[in-house]
This record gives sequence, C-alpha cells and structure tokens, in this order.
Amino acid sequence: MENVTCTFCGAVCDDLYFDGDEFRTKDFCPLGEAKFSRKKRIEYPTIDGKKVSYEEAVERAAEILHNSKRPLLFGWSSTVNEAIRLGVILAEKVRGIYDQCASVCHAPSVLAMIEEGIASGSLGQIKNRTDLAIFWGCNPVEAHPRHPTRYSVMARGLLTKGRADRKVVVVDVRKTVSALMASHFIQVKPGTDYLVFSAMRALMEGYEDAVPEEVGGVRKEKLIEFVEMIKSAKYITILFGLGIAHTRGHDRNVENVIKLVQLINRYTRCILQPMRGHFNVVGAGEVAAWECGFEWAVDFSRGYPRFAPSEFTGVEALLRKDCDAALIVASDPAAHFPRAAVEQLKRIPVIQIDPFPNMTTLLSKVVIPCAISGIEAEGTAYRMDGVPIRVKKVVESEYWSDEEILEKMLEKVLKLRED
Amino acid sequence: MLIIKPKIDFEVNVEAEITPDIATDLEYAKSFTVYYGKLEMSLAELFEVEKEGDSKVIVLEGDFSRVKWIGKGMLDGEIIVRGNAGANYGAFMKGGKIVIEGNADDWIGAEMEGGEIIVKGDAKNLIGCPYWGDLEGMKGGKIVIEGNAGNYIGEKMVSGEIEVRGKAGDFIGTEMKGGLITIHGDCGIVGGDMKAGEIRIGGIFELVPAFRETDDVFVGDVNVKGKGIVRVLTL
Amino acid sequence: MILVKNGHVIDPVNGINEEMDLFIKNGRISSEFKINEKECEVIDAKGKLVVAGAIDIHAHIAARKINSGRAMRPEEFRRVRQKTGKFRAAVGRTLLTAPAIGYEYVKMGYTTAIEPATPSLYTLHTHEELDSIPIIDKAALPLFGNWHLVFKFIAENDIEKLASFISWVLEKMKGYGVKVVNPGGVEAWMYGSNAHSIDDLVPYYDVSVRDIITGLIKANEMLDLPHSIHIHCNNLGEPGNYETTVDTMKLANGIRNNRRQVLHVTHVQFNAFSGSGWKDMGSGTEEIIKLVNKSDNITIDMGQVIFGHATTMTADGPFQFDLHKLLKNKWINLDVELETGTGVVPLIYRPSSPVHSVMWAIALELGLLVNPDKNVISTDYPNGGPFDRYPYIMTLLLSRKYREKEMERAHKYLQRAANLPSIDIERTLEDIVKMTRSSPARILGMHNKGHLGEGADADVVVYDINPAEFNPDKYREIEKALSSALFTIKGGTVVVKNGKIAGDIWGRTMWVDATLRTTAEIIEPDLEEYFNYYTVNRENYGVEERWMRRAERIEVG
Repeated sequence: MENVTCTFCGAVCDDLYFDGDEFRTKDFCPLGEAKFSRKKRIEYPTIDGKKVSYEEAVERAAEILHNSKRPLLFGWSSTVNEAIRLGVILAEKVRGIYDQCASVCHAPSVLAMIEEGIASGSLGQIKNRTDLAIFWGCNPVEAHPRHPTRYSVMARGLLTKGRADRKVVVVDVRKTVSALMASHFIQVKPGTDYLVFSAMRALMEGYEDAVPEEVGGVRKEKLIEFVEMIKSAKYITILFGLGIAHTRGHDRNVENVIKLVQLINRYTRCILQPMRGHFNVVGAGEVAAWECGFEWAVDFSRGYPRFAPSEFTGVEALLRKDCDAALIVASDPAAHFPRAAVEQLKRIPVIQIDPFPNMTTLLSKVVIPCAISGIEAEGTAYRMDGVPIRVKKVVESEYWSDEEILEKMLEKVLKLRED
Repeated sequence: MLIIKPKIDFEVNVEAEITPDIATDLEYAKSFTVYYGKLEMSLAELFEVEKEGDSKVIVLEGDFSRVKWIGKGMLDGEIIVRGNAGANYGAFMKGGKIVIEGNADDWIGAEMEGGEIIVKGDAKNLIGCPYWGDLEGMKGGKIVIEGNAGNYIGEKMVSGEIEVRGKAGDFIGTEMKGGLITIHGDCGIVGGDMKAGEIRIGGIFELVPAFRETDDVFVGDVNVKGKGIVRVLTL
Repeated sequence: MILVKNGHVIDPVNGINEEMDLFIKNGRISSEFKINEKECEVIDAKGKLVVAGAIDIHAHIAARKINSGRAMRPEEFRRVRQKTGKFRAAVGRTLLTAPAIGYEYVKMGYTTAIEPATPSLYTLHTHEELDSIPIIDKAALPLFGNWHLVFKFIAENDIEKLASFISWVLEKMKGYGVKVVNPGGVEAWMYGSNAHSIDDLVPYYDVSVRDIITGLIKANEMLDLPHSIHIHCNNLGEPGNYETTVDTMKLANGIRNNRRQVLHVTHVQFNAFSGSGWKDMGSGTEEIIKLVNKSDNITIDMGQVIFGHATTMTADGPFQFDLHKLLKNKWINLDVELETGTGVVPLIYRPSSPVHSVMWAIALELGLLVNPDKNVISTDYPNGGPFDRYPYIMTLLLSRKYREKEMERAHKYLQRAANLPSIDIERTLEDIVKMTRSSPARILGMHNKGHLGEGADADVVVYDINPAEFNPDKYREIEKALSSALFTIKGGTVVVKNGKIAGDIWGRTMWVDATLRTTAEIIEPDLEEYFNYYTVNRENYGVEERWMRRAERIEVG
C-alpha cells in the first residue's frame, strides 16, 4: 500500500510503502521499520492472568473504574484521537484523572505556552521559507530520522530550494550526530540554556553592557555573532527538544526561548517548533483541550475539570498516592516512571489496553489487547506541528481497536452510574 | 479552638478547604464538606474533630501531608499544623496565620494577599506563586521558611515578603513586580525578567546575565527594562 | 411530533407576526392542520414569543485557533457552567469547551453556528471539534485569501481555474464557503510585513489585494455557491481603516446575484475606525452604513465588543502580532505553509478605555442604522467577547434606555468620537428576528433555516416575552428572557426546557459540493506541482465524509 502513515514518532511521515501481507516496508526510517514489523503480541484479554472474553475484561475494567475514588487514566499519545476523546469522557464520567505522556515529555513546553503563547508554524514553513534552521537541545538524526530530509535541513521548498539556501545551526551540550549536518555548532554548558536565552535577548536589544563575557560556556563575541546571524536571516525556525524542556529550568527554559522568538519577530520572522515524541502526543493534548479545556493533568473528581500539573500528572498522582486505580492506554509507565511511582502502581488495580506486552502488563490486573493504531485500526493523529493526518488500517485483525474497547467501557460505566 | 486528627490512612488525598472560621461552631465544622477523591464527605466522617474553647484556632494533629487546600482564602485566625502539610496551604490567604511545624508541600501561600505563613521545616516548590494562567503572584503578607525551599519562589510577586532561612532552588523572583524575597543560603537562577522589587541573597547564586552592576547592587532585568534590585547579603 | 400552541410567532420571511400554532413532524415544520393532540408533545406558548432557531454567522467555535487559545489560557476554564451528570460537564468563561459551546448556544435559542476560518491543512481537526459540539448544526469556511495557488490563478487572470480550485477545496475539506482574511496581508507577514490598502502587492506573485478580492468574488459567483465570499478586510483594528472597508465594498460594484449578496463583510466594527491614530480614533461608520444600505449586493455582521474578557483569534497573523506588541500580552502565531496564518492574543475590553468604548459604540451604530435585512448580530466570538452575551446586544438594540445606562459606564470620549449618543432608534422584535434568523439564513443560503414555513428545519424557540405587551424600558427582563429560552427545539427534539439542557443530540455539519460545475482537470498540473511543496501527501490531504459524525452534502449545479 502506498502513502502509508507511520505511527512511531511525531514526524508522522505519510509517504511510505507498506505491504501488510508480507510486512514489507519501503522508505521507512529504522524507528518506523521496527514499529511496522511483526512483534510479540498480547494474545487475549486476561483478568489476574486468566484468559477471559473481551466483554468480561471490559466489564471488570468498568467496575474497577466506577468503584474507585480517583482513578488515573494515563497514556494516550500512541493511539488515535477517536480513542483519546472517549478516554477524556470516560475520565469525566468516572471522575478520575486524565493525563497523557506529554506530562513526562513536552509538558514544560505547554506550561511555557500558558505563560507566553508560542510563535509557531507548520513544518512546511521550514521546508518552503526557512533560511536559518536552529536545532537546540534536540537530535533529529537519531530521534526523528526523516525530519531533516523531509521537512527541515535538506527539504526542497517553493521559496527555499534546499540545503544550499539554508544555514543550519545546532546548539547542544555535546556534539551530537545531528551537529554533523550543521554549518555551525554552539556548545553550551548543561543546565545553562535559560541564561543563554536571556543573554541573547539582551544582546539583540543592544544591552551589551549587562551581559558578562561568558554565558553558559559561550563567549560573548560568539553570542553576538549568533544574534547577528539571526537578525540577518529572513525566516528562522528554532526547533527544540527535551534538551531544553527536560533539563534544568524546564518550562522556564522554553518560556525564555519563546520570549527570544517574540523579540526576533520585531526584527525579522521567526517561529519555534517543539520536536514532539510519540506520533499522537499532540492529539492527546488537543482533544482533551476541546473536550475539557486542559491538555493534561486534569482531575474530574468534583464533576468538572481542574488542571494542576504539580498534582494531577500520572507521576505526581502516583507519588502522592492520590489514585486508587489506573487505566493505562498505549503506554508503559512501569518501565518509565520513577521507582516510587511504580511502587504505588503495584499497590492499586491496573487495567492495561495495549497491543504489546510490556513491563506494565506484568503488574496489571486486567489486560486488554488491542489492534495497533495505524496498522490494524484507522483514525486521526496530529503531527508534531498539529497537522491532522489520517492513520490507516493496512492489516486485518481480530483485535478490538482502542476506540471499540473504550466505547464499550464507557457504555458500561454509564450503566453502572445509572444503577 | 478545633483539634482535628485523621481517622484513617487515606486511600487517596483529601481536599479540605477549611479556615479558622469553622473553629467556633463544632456542628458546622463537623458537617463541613471535604472531598475524598470523587466522594463528597463531611469533615467528621474522615477526621476526629474536637473543640476546646472559642478561639479562632485550628490545630491539625497527625499526618496532614495528604490533605490539601487547608486555609484557602482565610481571613483571620490561626492554623497550626503539628506535622507535615500537603499542597496549596494558605492559597489566596488574606489574613491570619498558618504555622507548619513539619515540612510543607508545593504552592504554599499561592496568590496570597495578606497574613503570615511560617514553615519550621522545609518547603517544596512554587512558594507564593500564581496559579497557571494568572498574571500576579503574591500580593501581600509574609512567608517564612525556616528550612530549605524548592524551585520557583515568588514568581510574578507584586508585594509582600518571602524569607527562606536555608537554601533554595532555581528561579527566585522570576517576573517579579514588587515585594521582597530573602534567601539566606545558596540558590540557583535569580531575577529572570524581574521588573521591580528586591531580592537579597546570602549564599552563592546565579544571576540572570541581563543585570547591570552598580556600586553595591545589581539592577535589571534589562530585557524588560526592569528596575529590580538584587543585593548580596553581608553578615 | 410537537405542537406549539397559541404562541405569538414572528417569522419575517413568511410575513407572520401574530398568534398561531406550529406543528412539528419528522424534524420539520409541517402545515398539516388535522392534528391529533394526544399524539403530540404539546407546548402551550400562549403569550410567549415563538421564533425560528437563531444562526451565528461568524463564531470561531472549532479549529486549531480556538484550541490553541484554550491550551494557552487555563485561567478561562475555572468557570463551571454544568457539572457532569446526565450530560457532559461544561466549563469556560469566554473560551468554552466543545460541550459548553453546544449547550450555551441552545440555551439562548441558537441552533446553528458557522466556524468562519479554517486553514485547509488543519481542517480535519476543525471537523473533529465541530463533531464534538453537541446539538447545533454547523459548517466551516476554508480560508482562501492568502493561498499561493489562489495568487497564482489570479496572477494568470484565470477565474475558471480559480473556481475549479475553490470547488476542489470545498469538496476535499467538506467546507461550506469561501473565507478571505486580510487578503495578501498574511502572505506579506511571512516576510514580516502587511498589506495596508487594496492596491498593495503580494510579494513574489505581484498581484494586488484588489485583484484577489475581485477574482474570488467572480469565481464564487461563477460557481453560484449558497454563500458569497465572506471577507475580513485589510487593516483590521487600525485607526482610519473605514476607508479600506469602503474601498473593499466598492469592489462588489456591478456584480450581482438574484438570491443574495455577492460580498459579506464580517465583524465590520473592527474595520470601521476613523482617525489617524489612537489619540483621535473615532467611529467611521457613516460612509459604510450609507454604502451598505444603498447597495443590494453587500451584507455585514456587527462584531460587537462586550466589556470584559475576550480572546482575539484570527487568521490575520500581522494584526495579531501588532496586538501582542501593543498589549504586551501572550501571543500564539501559526504560519500555515502556502495557505494562511493564524494568531491568538488575550484581551480585556474595559469601559474605562476610550478606544474600547468607541468600539462598543461603533458596533451598535451599525446594529441600529444598517438595514436589518443586511445585517447580522455577532461578536466575532471570541474576538469581541463571548457569544453567550448576544442577548445583551439584542437588548441594547431594542432599548434606548438600556443603551443610555450602559453609555454611562463607558468612557466619556465616546460622546464626541461616536455617533451613538444621538441615535434614538429602538429596534423592534421583528428587526432582531431578522438580524439573528432570516438575514443570516439568506446570507448563508440556508433556505430551510431562519424561518418557520412549511418544510423548514424544526429549529424553534419559545421565549418568555409577550410581543403584545412588549416594553423596551424593561430591559433587564428582556435580556433575561432572551438568555434563557423556555423551550428550544432542535430538528424536532426538545433540547432546552426553562433554560436548562433537556436533550442531547448530534447536529449536522453542512458542506457544499460544487464539483458538478467545474472540471478538476484544468487545475491538475498546478495541484501536482504545488503538492511538491506541501509536507502532507496529496492522497492524505483532506477530509472524507465517513470520518465525520453527521455530514450533510449540499450539491449545487
């Protein structure tokens, strides 16, 4: 099948070939290829390790959620919007917590946006217009392998014709493989990005006297040079990753780069693009925003949504022992959460919906296997720039989709509420 | 005076927006609505509530680290927490006093307007800060942390005073517009986008590289044409 | 089946302003006269006002823009309108969640709303959000005014290709009509600039703003779409901009359509400023009102501002950046490859502000002096304020006394910079019904809406207002009655009783299929070329009907 959409990373490439009978791929990157390969699956639904029907598993799951005081509904970034929407409504109806993988990933970027907004654009703005691309604290060659060719470094656009029309700068704490494709590399000391952004803002406005001779390990002259390079470009895109959002300073780092971008726009044009991870982590936030007003860390215990990222993220709710059941969809917190949070996960009943067995399967009371979104089930996903792209069903499957499972679970919960 | 003790080990956190106003009427206090996950319950269902005398004082005994929102918006009176305290204590507080004898969680005195909070142990993050989306943090009153404090202290602070006797984390007085923050020990990044007010620091710290040094103080943040003052405390 | 008995029906389309019964069958108004009351749900509307469901012609209720606004403004969602129960939880101050949007509309008797600005690249998102809004019918207008392919066809002066492209886009995106925002100006913003008059040229293509607008009008009329082009003029929010608005309106000269206007100019208030700067900014409505009233091919909506919180959000990227600089407030910008831009900035309209007070007055001048057959009530939600304050606007238009009271709150600069203080007119209930029902329906080409004749959609509202005893001085009562319908019936289902949600159904999303009128082949080479520059494959671009909840295809041709 042509024009297949990959459901691995936030770049959501939609120009791929996949043969569902042979599991043969063409043009995929290694990360996508691994996703579109035959892997060990959860074979059937289980309760306490015993095989049950889908109906029994869904019914038990609904009872657990209904009877708990504050269930945590976590995951969502690797499924489609249709399932996410049902997940948010389910969280509302069981008066639990809706949280998604962004809270352990780009949540600081969303918090920064609450403070300052964000000047951004679709990925085609890099391809078609950008003459200066700055990768800051991210490593696309390894994390989003087709990003540089498809959207950014080498992409051939209408007004910017390709690599020759574009300067590329990489800023990072070490010389990553992505730095090899850059025309300039700037090395900053770990944990100093916030300070470097403040210094650049001051230099851009001509307050050279307030900036020390060295900031974050970068000499002032080099920073001045960098600022001048930015001012003389026509359309700049700054792409950033967890090197900013998940190092010292977190959301404040992102807020400061947003302020820098605001300032650059007074001289020339500039946009900022977070390099989002999972293929639909943007959808997991956007859907929740239109359904309940907030993107993540939402508590419905009072019958209406409340947002508290220091209390109601998956990790915080577990660390604070503030949830007494959990539904985990398309995610593996047992492998990725801090140990103390996993300890709490072990103490409470856990329901898992996932195509593949993982660490979380081992501690789950109810395990519900599902069709793989984008391979065995279709739906809508949002690329890292929010562009909606349909992911497809390219292989027939007996497994229920996330959407079907959640729809049935919601029906059961509504029935339990009525009784 | 009310003495309140948890009856059980809580399965999830409790939200109890109690203020000293309930201390003078035992029946009212006992029937006060608190939130236990999705369950709306009365205070007396989850806590032992006893009354001694008519003073506007609440004493919390036992572990309150999983009880949130105590003293929200309180106007007067006193709350004494004998052990550790949960999140959001004294948020929107306008007057009176909260004394936490143990450690405090996040959001102590968030958007506080008046009164006094004293934490004898350590406090976590977001002290006297504005909730997400709000433009002003602490507007008045005083917060004293006798131990150490976490990240984000006095953000968007307009007026009032925060004092940390021990060490503190990153982001002291970010976007501060007025008031006074004193950190006696070491701390991290100080003064980002500070517009006005004063920060005094006794230990080692990292000043945002957008301040001008004068004879005895630093003035900035130049990025917002700020007139904020960062002063090194000398013994 | 529902029988609404003895109500005072106002239905300007059918010339009704009297007591009569309404019979609803199969989701439509029926003219059967032998009715067995026992088989019907009977609503006694004796002494009550009965009208068709209202239509919001221009409200940013779905799409990436409002949703980015939500993500940026958690402070907006602390107001709880409804707890979860039988229906969904509904929250929001001026920005609402999708469930809250549907519920709040029907509570005040609105049963249809149009999302007026969707970038095509993001339109699947727009439809997902529209599909999450309960009860009301809706439609979306894709943005055309800064699309590279539009510039190209206009540069080639090829209206036939442009028409083919429009019909290709509407079919692909399941769009309803043609929206134009700051034509040419948003493309200029990609270079850090803007368009300031209709003679400005677009960078790279060398076509003028004037060419873009006239080209789009001609292409739209070649297709004879239900709706005309729907324009947000250049220079929005700039003192003196009324001149640009008048220039734009004059571009419709000589182009006619027998059914409707050929140019709908939206949220005109924001484009009706006089003056050379903020110090002498004033009302520039006079010429606009004269021109609209004497033309039979131009319509407008008001764009009223409401004192209090608002969130500006437009496809007008350069305007949003200017506003961010002016207010020093947080700012979202989204440049959309080859198609358009977008921006979001929060704002508070303060009666203590001279400029905001004049803006408030400008919209009312338009509401009072433009012929109600050519004018629609709007706030350009959420730009001018929340749509749930429409009853406030209606009441201001109905009651001079209320206006005087509100003018006392406003800045006194209004007294010399606006014409409002000297206007005595009080709109009638029939005028208001026109400005909220019949006019938007006709302007949009929705012939089953906006009236209560046989076969019309059974979108019916009963208000606690007795037209026979109507007294405009009792404005508090009027506003309350208009805010909280006694009954709202949507497509034959009672969805509101006594101002509370009583039924939850899913409305339709209407879209226009004009592909019978065009041949896609003539633009095939252009599409092939341009999709080299997109980041989405052509095969994956667009929205299929089966992905939508309840799509209604309206075929023209």
